[in-house]
Amino acid sequence: MVLIRRYFIFALCFSVSVLGFSVAALADSEKSTDHAVQEHHPSEGHPGSYEAPLPVELSTNPDLCAYVPCHDVFPNADYFSPRKGRPSYVEAYRNKKHGQLENGHHEDADSRELIGYAFLSTDIVDIPAYSGKPVVTLMGMDVTGKIVGVKVLRHSEPILLVGIPEGELTKFIKQFVGKYAWDKLEIGKARAEGGYIGIDAISGATVTVISENQVVMRCAYEIAKQVGIIKAVPRPQAKFTSVLAQYSWDALLAEGSIQHLMVSPSDVGMNNTGKPYIDLYFGYLNAPAIGRSILGERNYDGLMAELKPNEHAIFIIANGAASFKGSGFVRGGIYDRIQVSQDMDSFTFRDTDYRNLYSIKATGAPEFSESAIFIIRSTSYSAAYPWSLVFLGNKMDKQTGTKTFANFDREYWLQGRYLEGGRPVVVKAEPVWLKIWKSRIWQIVAFTAILIFTAVIYANRDWLVRRSSRKDKRWVSIPKYAIWLASIGFIGFGLMAQPSITQVLTWFHSMLFQWKWELFLSDPFIFIFWLFIIISVFVWGRGLFCGWMCPFGSLSELFYKIAGKIGLKRFQFTPNSVLHERLKWLKYGIFWGLLAVSFFSMGLAEKLAEIEPFKTTFLVGLFNRSWPYTLFTASLLGLSLFTERPFCKYLCPLGAALAMPTTFRWFGLKRKQECTTCSACAAGCGSLAIDKQGVIDHRECMLCLDCMILYYDDHACPPLSKERKLRVKSGLPLTPINAAGYYIPIYPVPLKGTDE
Amino acid sequence: MKPTIHDNNPSYAEATGIKWLVYEMVDHLWPWSKEGWRHHKAIQTAGLALAVAATVAWGLAASGKLGASAVIGWWLGWSIYEIVIRLQCKPYIKDGPWWGHHYRPAGRMDMICYVMFKNLLIGAVLFIVLRNLGLLQMVN
Repeated sequence: MVLIRRYFIFALCFSVSVLGFSVAALADSEKSTDHAVQEHHPSEGHPGSYEAPLPVELSTNPDLCAYVPCHDVFPNADYFSPRKGRPSYVEAYRNKKHGQLENGHHEDADSRELIGYAFLSTDIVDIPAYSGKPVVTLMGMDVTGKIVGVKVLRHSEPILLVGIPEGELTKFIKQFVGKYAWDKLEIGKARAEGGYIGIDAISGATVTVISENQVVMRCAYEIAKQVGIIKAVPRPQAKFTSVLAQYSWDALLAEGSIQHLMVSPSDVGMNNTGKPYIDLYFGYLNAPAIGRSILGERNYDGLMAELKPNEHAIFIIANGAASFKGSGFVRGGIYDRIQVSQDMDSFTFRDTDYRNLYSIKATGAPEFSESAIFIIRSTSYSAAYPWSLVFLGNKMDKQTGTKTFANFDREYWLQGRYLEGGRPVVVKAEPVWLKIWKSRIWQIVAFTAILIFTAVIYANRDWLVRRSSRKDKRWVSIPKYAIWLASIGFIGFGLMAQPSITQVLTWFHSMLFQWKWELFLSDPFIFIFWLFIIISVFVWGRGLFCGWMCPFGSLSELFYKIAGKIGLKRFQFTPNSVLHERLKWLKYGIFWGLLAVSFFSMGLAEKLAEIEPFKTTFLVGLFNRSWPYTLFTASLLGLSLFTERPFCKYLCPLGAALAMPTTFRWFGLKRKQECTTCSACAAGCGSLAIDKQGVIDHRECMLCLDCMILYYDDHACPPLSKERKLRVKSGLPLTPINAAGYYIPIYPVPLKGTDE
Repeated sequence: MKPTIHDNNPSYAEATGIKWLVYEMVDHLWPWSKEGWRHHKAIQTAGLALAVAATVAWGLAASGKLGASAVIGWWLGWSIYEIVIRLQCKPYIKDGPWWGHHYRPAGRMDMICYVMFKNLLIGAVLFIVLRNLGLLQMVN
C-alpha cells in the first residue's frame, strides 16, 4: 500500500513537473527567438510569429520595406518605393537590366519596371482575429491583381502558439497565392452559386482563418482599386423628393439624418482625461431638406451650384482632443483621418475636396471646435445606399509603444422620405458567425441532441437507479457509456469542442473589458456547450459535465474501466483519504493562479493553461506536438489506467472553476439519516466525494450515481437491507421504496368495531 | 475553522414573501451579526476599517485614480476578510434552489466558494454599471 501511495505521488509529481518543463521549454524557445529578432531582420530571425516584436516605426515610417521583409512576398523585386497612397502601399520594381551599382544604389527609375505592390494589412483594415488582436500580414500583388505572396508577421492567436503548429497557418495563407483581388474566397467547400472559391481551413482555428481570409482579400481589393486594377463600378444615383421643410438639429439627429460618432481616449490606447478623443457629427448635404436645414437657403444653393453631377457633399463638425483633419490638412495633402466607405469602396479626401463650414443654421446645433464640408467625387458613391464615415486612428499599445491601425465608423443612410421611391432594398452580408453556424447546422443539431439526451437521462436518474442494483448497473451504465463514447469520438475528436479554462479566463476579461458576442458565437459548439454547462452546474452541479460530458474526463475514466476489465484491476488503487483531502485543493490553487496571472499577462496564462492536456489530446493530436506535451498527456492517461480520473480530481482548473458554483446547485443527491454512520456508499465512491460523516461534497462529485443505486438497493444499502430482513423475518410485505429511500411504512388499520 | 456562533438556519429562514427576500439580500451584503460582534470585536473593528477602505477604493477606482491590480487586490482582501467573518457570524449557506428556505452549515470551502462567487458577481455588476454610466475611467 505504501508502495502504491508512493507511486501515485511520484506519478502525479512527474506529470506536473513534465508540464513545468514543457512550459519552461516553451519560454526558453521564445527567449531564444526574441534574441534572434534583436540581431537580425524580422524575416530572417523569427521562426514563429506569435507575438513577434515589430518595430515601433512600422506603422509610420515611409520606408516600409526597411522594417518588413518585402522580398519574402516579392522575391524578384530589386527596389521598393516609399509608402504611397491612402491606405498606403509600396510599389515593387524590377531592374530592366540587372545592373546594380557597386555602391548599392539602384539605377534610375527609367531602368525599372513596376511589377506589383506590397502592403501591410494593418495599414488597410482593422479586423481582429480570435485573440481580439489583428494578424499582421504582409502581402504582395502583381500589376494584374494576382496575389503573389502572403506572409504573417505577427499574430496573437493562442491556439497557434500552444495548440496547432504554426506551419498550418503558413500552409493556409499559401492558398491565397495565385488568387485575384476580386476573387470571392470561402473557407471550406465553396457554394455552387455566386462564383465562390473554396479554401481549406485549419481545424480548430476556424475564427482565425475566417478573419485572415477577410484581411487578405479586403486588403488586396482596396489596393487593387486604388491603383486602378479594379475599375470603379457606378451605383444608381439617388433622386431626391421635394421635401423642402427645414428642421432643427435635434429633429435631424432623431431621424438619423445627422449621425454621431464618438471615440474615447481609451479606444485609442490613451489615458482617459474625461474629454472625448473625438466627438463628431456628420450628415449628407445634397438632400435639399437636410442641406437647407444645416447650411441655410443661400449657402445650400451656392454649394449645389458648385457641385457637378455625381458629386456629393457631406458636413462634419467635431469637438475633442484630436482633429479629424489630421496632419494631412496642408495644401496638396490628403485628409488621413477620415474617409467615407460604401460596401467595398472607400473614398478619401484631398484639399480640393474641402470647403469651409463656418456655422450651422439648424437651431439647437452644438458648439464645435472644428468643421468642414467634404465633396465626394465618384460615380461609385450613391446616397441612396448606406455608407459609413470612418475615423482612422492609431491605437497605441501602452506596453510596447507600437501603434496599430484602428478605425471607428458610423453608418449613415438617407431617410426614405428624402428618396424618390424610398430606400432601395439592400441585402447586407451575413455576419461571419452566422455563416459558421449555417455551414455546420447538422453538426450543431446532432451536438445539441446529445446534450439534451444527456440532460433528459440525468433528470430521470431516479427512474434509472431504482431499476439498477449494486450488481447490475446497466440502466445507468449503458446510457452513460454511450454518452462517453459520443463525447470522446464526436464532441472531442470530431468537433474539437473540448471546453477549457482559457475560455473561462476570456469570459472574465471580456466581462470586465469588452464583451463581444461575435467572439463567443464564432465557435458554435463551445458556445452551446457553455450554455449547457452553466445551466447544468446550477441545476445539478459540475458532475454532469465533468462526469458525463467532458471528452477528456470521459476518456480518462474509460481508460480506467477498460484497464480493470483487461486484468489490470489488481494494480488499480484509490489514494487514501488523507492524501486525497490534501491533493484536491491543488486544482483550486491552479485555477486561482491562472486567473491572477491572466490579469497581468493573458499570454502567460494561456501558456500555463497547458496544464490542461485537452489541446494535445483532441485539437492537435498526441503525436503532433513536441515531446514534453505528449509525455505529459500520456502520463496522465497512463495514470488513469491505475487510478480513477487523477487529472479531474487534482489538477483540472476547469473542474475547480465549475466546482465553486456547484456549491449552489439546486438539486443534490439524496441522503438518509443512517448515512452519517454508515460508510457503504463512501467505500464505493470513485470520486472520493463522500466523507466519514456520509456527507457528499458535490464539488468533488462526478455524479456517477453509484450511491443513488445503493440508496434504493434493498440488498446493498445497509439500513434498507436490515429492514428487508426484519420484514421477511416478521412475515411483513416488502412495500415499494419511497423517495426517502425506505420501504413505505405499514400502519395497522384498526378493525371495525375494535373501539366498541 | 469551525463555526462558533451557531450552526443552524438563519433567524429569517421561516419568513416568507418580500420580507424574506429583503432579509436574503441584506444577508448577502452584510456579513456581520450582533452575536458575532459581541464575540469578535477585534475582527469586527478591523472589518469596519476594511469596509471603509474598500469604499474609498471604489471611489478612487470610479474616478480613475486606482489601477486594475489595486482594485483586484482589495477585492481579494475584502473577500478573504468576509470569509473569516462569515464563518464566525453567519456560518451557513443556502442549500438547494435559491428560492428555497433550506440552509446548511457552511464548511470552509463552502464559505470560500460562496463569498468569492458572490463578490465576483457583485463586483462584475458594479463594474459594468459604473462603466456604462461613464463613471469608471480605469479601463483601457
